[in-house]
Amino acid sequence: MNVSARLFLLLQHGDTFFPSGAVSFSWGLEGAFNAGWVVSKTDLAEFLETQLRNRWATTDRNFVQVAHAQAAHPDAIAELDHMLEAMTLPEEQRIGSRRAGGALLLAHEKLATRGAVDYRRRQRSGEVPGHLAVVHGMLCAGLGLSAGEAEVLSAYTGCSGLLGAAVRLGLVGHVESQRILARAGPLIAELTASPPAPAADATSFTPMHDLAAICHESQHERLFSN
Amino acid sequence: MASVLADNEQPEAVSGPARVGIGGPVGSGKTSLIEVLLPRLQERGYQVAVITNDLVTREDADRIRNSGLLPAERVLAVETGACPHTVIREDPTLNIEAAERLEAEFPELDLILVESGGDNLASTFSFDLVDYWMFVIDVAGGDDIPRKRGPGVLRSNLLVVNKADLAPHVRVDLDRMMTDARTVRDGRPVVLTDCHRGTGVDELIDLLVNETLFR
Repeated sequence: MNVSARLFLLLQHGDTFFPSGAVSFSWGLEGAFNAGWVVSKTDLAEFLETQLRNRWATTDRNFVQVAHAQAAHPDAIAELDHMLEAMTLPEEQRIGSRRAGGALLLAHEKLATRGAVDYRRRQRSGEVPGHLAVVHGMLCAGLGLSAGEAEVLSAYTGCSGLLGAAVRLGLVGHVESQRILARAGPLIAELTASPPAPAADATSFTPMHDLAAICHESQHERLFSN
Repeated sequence: MASVLADNEQPEAVSGPARVGIGGPVGSGKTSLIEVLLPRLQERGYQVAVITNDLVTREDADRIRNSGLLPAERVLAVETGACPHTVIREDPTLNIEAAERLEAEFPELDLILVESGGDNLASTFSFDLVDYWMFVIDVAGGDDIPRKRGPGVLRSNLLVVNKADLAPHVRVDLDRMMTDARTVRDGRPVVLTDCHRGTGVDELIDLLVNETLFR
């Protein structure tokens, strides 16, 4: 694949036009907004930065990388998937990650991306949970993207999903959300400058996000799945 | 030479229950229509499940679950993230996933109804999600709605003009509304319904069965 073909592939899969189901998830933001914990653009920027530093860079990234490396070994992918299931404690985050991973798999199953049909069958049968980071890493390998491209794509789609949810919640406008997104770029470059820890050593410390997701579970009024 | 034309593309095999979308503006009576459809479809021997796309609450899903018309586990809710049109058109993956889950759990299903969240006249369903879709408007929304056209009014497989009983109370010229609807739809079917009395519902089911269930 030449440079423009790779760039085109990244643009296709980073675009919100790609049908990944992402529009239905806020990853704790709606709960934090409803609780009055995230009410300003500064709060939102902090929420995103904490998510990137203390969850994405220390857990999601690790699983994306290992899944990318193990993409040709479905049993190893399944083992990773079960490990991430055990490491994601708030129920809405766990179910959200499964549903988002399932939606991404479904889109790639229809597009016949390498590895998608078989893993979708296992996920549909309940044999594997289909967590987003694991599925994302495996599918990026199937598309022919590098591990580095896979992790940046994971970070970017995480940011655009969260900031898109913020715009729809009325928390910030379309311009401010782009300012925050632009500042996330250098942060992601910093966070990816060194190799991630092995998946088994992944850590996560996002107490406000987790509490917000837990509170969201019982909220009747909701725009988002989590 | 590169081309965007596909090589030897085969049509996707069609199997499983028919998927029918029900869209339309807020308050046009989509959930009420489902409530009158369910017992009549069951009387005709069809096995049905429902997916709702509530906008803010789980009101529609809870209403159908609590109605006793279907086993609760045959009603799934998909959140829309404030984008009801997106989850039935540009990105229906979570609705497709829900439909596939229902198909796997209830292989006896003949029909899955996918109820959109209340939206506007521009909403349409992706044919990757549904096989057939109906658009529900109501007389209280004004008799000018068909003349305003919009993809929902024009392109749906079936246009349902609901709440016929309200016409005299909201000063709507029902004959003119139906004539306008038939004119703008260029021969595609339009059904007038009153879900409280059940008027027009059997005609609607006849069309639905003929177009999607073939028996």
